[in-house]
Amino acid sequence: MRLTQGAFSFLPDLTDAQIAAQIEYCLQQGWATSVEYTDDPHPRNTYWEMFGMPMFDMKDAAGVLQEVNACRHTFPNHYVRVNAFDATRGVESVRLSFIVNRPPEEPGFGLIREEGAGRNIRYTLGRRA
Amino acid sequence: MTRQRSHGVSFRVIAKWMRLAGVDHLHAGTVVGKLEGDPNTVQGFYNVLREPLNAVDPSRGIFFEQNWAGLNGVMPVASGGIHAGQMHQLLTYLGDDTVLQFGGGTIGHPMGIAAGATANRVALEAMVLARNEGRDIWNEGPQILADVARHCTPLKAALDTWGEVTFNYASTDTPDFIPTPTAAA
Repeated sequence: MRLTQGAFSFLPDLTDAQIAAQIEYCLQQGWATSVEYTDDPHPRNTYWEMFGMPMFDMKDAAGVLQEVNACRHTFPNHYVRVNAFDATRGVESVRLSFIVNRPPEEPGFGLIREEGAGRNIRYTLGRRA
Repeated sequence: MTRQRSHGVSFRVIAKWMRLAGVDHLHAGTVVGKLEGDPNTVQGFYNVLREPLNAVDPSRGIFFEQNWAGLNGVMPVASGGIHAGQMHQLLTYLGDDTVLQFGGGTIGHPMGIAAGATANRVALEAMVLARNEGRDIWNEGPQILADVARHCTPLKAALDTWGEVTFNYASTDTPDFIPTPTAAA
């Protein structure tokens, strides 16, 4: 099941040229980019592992794309995303985040039902084995 | 609100009160769709809700400068008769920080509600992608949607259903300010 998190996840996978264009847009807005990866894409897992430090001083989209490719090379079977952080006062959060690498097999999630006290049923989103 | 003449309070003023009161989100018009409005007037509402500083801009109804001094913004909400085929207009008029509520444009989808949600999301993502790439979405919008719909059956169905639907109401807003062209000396 295709993971639909972040921007552009309903579109076909972005090409490197498309990724570079989005990074260029982020840099033009003055946002700081960073690359993150994970093998646990559960919706509650908000904080993925950082691939190096956020690139606050990077002004060149090609440099960011190089980081993306380094991360893809190191973790070809992980999810990799690019974040763009807007430091504007009152915003101070991620303005754009999109997935740039997916594992070849995406297992998706399963619904786990747990019987509680009485006739109570609790539902959890679990990883499909 | 502004059109209800008996209370005499412009929606722009109500928007300002709501921001001061710490409201989270506020329906502020859509320009297109059923809640038609004069684009400049609606953008005036949006600017009052979102901008850190409102410069004097009489054509949008802002007559005095307002520095919001870091006061949190209000998230404007657009809804009412909007559909995937208007995405380029919505993004151009309303920008990024807005909640687009597609009600009938989701539930009325011929392939079901999930397909309706997919169609709207695909249309939005394609349009944001194109805008960030520097394309002129105002003019190329319908073409961008048609291109992406070739890979997305739900969006194709949505465009076939609503693509031609426009309300085309003449705006009933009466701006407080009509710019007068000045003759060159």
